[in-house]
Amino acid sequence: MDEADYKELKKGGMMRQAEAGLFSVRLHVVGGRLATPQLRAIREAADRFGRGEIHLTSRQGVEIPHVPQGSLAALKEFLAPSGVGVGVCGPTVRTVTACQGCRVCPSGVIDSPELAEAVDQEFYGKPVPHKFKVGISGCVNNCMKAEENDAGVKGWIEPRWEAPACTSCGVCAAVCPTKAITVTPESRSLVIDRPLCIGCGDCITSCPSGGMREESRGYRLFAGGKFGRKPFLGKRILGILRTKEEAMGAITAVLDFFREHGKSRERFGDTLQRTGFPALETFVKERTGLP
Amino acid sequence: MTTPLLDITGDVCPMTFVKVKMALQQAPRVGTLTVRLKVEALKNVISVVKTEGHLVTNVSREEGIFLLEVRKGG
Repeated sequence: MDEADYKELKKGGMMRQAEAGLFSVRLHVVGGRLATPQLRAIREAADRFGRGEIHLTSRQGVEIPHVPQGSLAALKEFLAPSGVGVGVCGPTVRTVTACQGCRVCPSGVIDSPELAEAVDQEFYGKPVPHKFKVGISGCVNNCMKAEENDAGVKGWIEPRWEAPACTSCGVCAAVCPTKAITVTPESRSLVIDRPLCIGCGDCITSCPSGGMREESRGYRLFAGGKFGRKPFLGKRILGILRTKEEAMGAITAVLDFFREHGKSRERFGDTLQRTGFPALETFVKERTGLP
Repeated sequence: MTTPLLDITGDVCPMTFVKVKMALQQAPRVGTLTVRLKVEALKNVISVVKTEGHLVTNVSREEGIFLLEVRKGG
């Protein structure tokens, strides 16, 4: 078998191991969620085709290691009826990670698994200049580490000040983790420094009078993050995205930008270092009509 | 009638809001309660007070310590 064949196998989620002739088989998992029949099938497959071992990857994925080359096709066939597909590697859109989102987590603001499914259906395994990771956090507690991803999303709450209801008590300013709020009781005024706001909604939760209300909640997009040898934190782009459709539109445009401007084997963060973030924002706004 | 004072400046979450909840449960039907607390406890205590249907009627501050006047609701 030559290098080109190994590369093809890798793209299809079959990773050559250090030990000759053995492969670690990556499976298709979305947002770390598997049904019990799928887990049973994976267990059975690991017993039959591997060495009864399962590896949980760093990004909510599952791999079956120690599979001999001759068993790869049979393993794939065995898993298919349970709805377990084989994963991807190489320069493609990778496993979409997600927390349990607002349907399960009391802190959740958005339905992260729902968006993860949508991104997965549209883009999983699609070719891009270099690997592209998407991670979705249901709120700004950010369990999924949005800024570590090429495209990351966080559930976000935007506050609005209702002057007539406000008593200038100063609780919102006291609880704000980034000191984005300034209250001046003497003039009964309040200012929110929007770029400093991290969308946690603590000011709304703790407001005793209803003077701080929810303006909107939705999806906040971060671009260009990565870890690896040269880590880089993604940066916030665009305003708040109000619906899943708006979030999908923005992610689609971000991927279009990467395909048009990224060089082969260049991570998205490095592309953005060259082009600058404003170029991406302008592009996405033009493509989507988003503010 | 004097308003009872609950000092939770020495407590940490979750005892802060647990104590406030208990004090309000024990308060008479049209009762009030003054809570003395640190900034760290503000969010959870006010959030619990609101969720349980009570009302924060006044907030004041003395040297970094907050005083909440709470009127029992429901």
